[in-house]
Amino acid sequence: MSLLLSSLRTHFIKHLSCTSFSSLHTTLNLTPGSVFKLLGSTRNYPSRNSTHFFNSSPVTASFSTSSSPVSETPTTGSYLSVDIQSRQDVADMLSEALLCFGAVSTSVFEPDICNSKNEISIVSIFAVSQDVHQSIALAADSIGLKETPVYKVTTGYQSDWIENARESFNPVEVREGLWIVPEWITPPYSGIQQDIQATIISLNPGLAFGTGDHPTTKLCLLLLDGLIKGGESVLDYGTGSGILAIAALKFGAASAVGFDIDPQAITAARHNAGLNNIGPDKLELQVVPSNISRMSTDQWQWAMKSDGVTDHDVEIVTEKEKYDVVVANILLNPLLDLADHIVSYAKPGGVVGLSGIILEQVPTVVDRYSDLLEGVTVSQSDDWACIHGTKRKTG
Amino acid sequence: MASLKEILTRRPVAATVRLTIPAGGAKPGPPVGPAVGQYKVNLMAFCKDFNARTQKYKPDAPISATVTVFKDNTFELNVRSPSVTWYLKKAAGIESGSGRAGHAVASTLTLKHVYEIAKVKQADPYCQYMSLEAISKSIIGTAKSMGIKVEKDLD
Repeated sequence: MSLLLSSLRTHFIKHLSCTSFSSLHTTLNLTPGSVFKLLGSTRNYPSRNSTHFFNSSPVTASFSTSSSPVSETPTTGSYLSVDIQSRQDVADMLSEALLCFGAVSTSVFEPDICNSKNEISIVSIFAVSQDVHQSIALAADSIGLKETPVYKVTTGYQSDWIENARESFNPVEVREGLWIVPEWITPPYSGIQQDIQATIISLNPGLAFGTGDHPTTKLCLLLLDGLIKGGESVLDYGTGSGILAIAALKFGAASAVGFDIDPQAITAARHNAGLNNIGPDKLELQVVPSNISRMSTDQWQWAMKSDGVTDHDVEIVTEKEKYDVVVANILLNPLLDLADHIVSYAKPGGVVGLSGIILEQVPTVVDRYSDLLEGVTVSQSDDWACIHGTKRKTG
Repeated sequence: MASLKEILTRRPVAATVRLTIPAGGAKPGPPVGPAVGQYKVNLMAFCKDFNARTQKYKPDAPISATVTVFKDNTFELNVRSPSVTWYLKKAAGIESGSGRAGHAVASTLTLKHVYEIAKVKQADPYCQYMSLEAISKSIIGTAKSMGIKVEKDLD
């Protein structure tokens, strides 16, 4: 029932915002007496000048584009965090309206049962360049609130939430004897059995993916564990924090190479290699262009060289049929696009492992890779799956 | 409506976060970072989850997602298909709707476009029980509010 209402509501808001908007337009042409009715709603904002409401012509231009609220946030990583107090029953509608009018995101805190004030706070994030007051006023108006709610604006910085994200990273036991530990937790590790046999990988993921926590990472780690007997060469395509490549080396691989399209990931991976005392001779990392499969070999070689990549490093990306094990934990679309490219790196008879796919995407991937690999097996955990197979020996 | 079992095992909710992110484009920076990161949710896991679930949409289509964060720092992600207005704008090839809906026409579309959009929307959780005809009617309504005319056929 509520689903129906919410679907009606979105259309309702869109229609209503048009009509309230056109009424703004018309009342401005009338006598100052009726204009004051509009200004009356600003009484909760002592700081705001009433002349703002006269500037509604820019609102005309901005209204039609505000339904695509994905805005450019500055690279400094700062944003506006606005704390809005609203009544419990309208909070839901207000947050949806805010999204329509330019908020980047809204979070509604669950009301406490013992809270008798009947008010809950909505925290909304805006881009620094956005006119917060206008957006909130329009949002409140569109759902029929008589007065604009009270709000408070604070500027937040990138470092705030990076700190918070770090807190969620705890030591992870992938299997008996294999632990992934954050860099900032130093030995002796509390809670980990002091097992001398334990393989401990120290990680600081930074802004890259791969803490060992995610089901796909675990699936790939278990796969590598089963495959690596010692002395293999491994390629981790889409290495992120470098966790799979580093783990492969710890399991006994002779050498590992990691590719990623994100330079920040390569930086994080280099850092983690250092943390685990793995030198550049054992683990090589390289940034690769993201549309590599669509370019001819000459084209992206030239592109990399013009970016300042040394000849030796470009060679690493060009060498095919070199690796015993290739593992790629990325996403469905890149896996499909880069299928030939990824498999070409494996030796005939080598194993290719793919992950980062949800269960319903498995058939598509299996289809795409079935003429490149044989013995395709699927392993799964939660809602995620990992596919591996051996490269066909041609001829 | 949730089953009895779901209600009994429901975990306490800390907050509900609504976000709009381009499909396949979730990164640990703003907008995702500040909004979700403050609840101590594993950012990377969230981005990976979101990107994996939105692979089937055109890249950069704005997807509205609702994240329910539970008190034990786990989260549940609910992804809806891109908004009807976005589909209409893409189909009509315009950047934004008409400023004066009902008076100035921004562009024209045929019933075929509406039908295609309705088919995609039917996969949405809250449209499943609606007949294609009903969904199409609501799409035509949205188009009217944007100043897009819907013709039977383009001549």
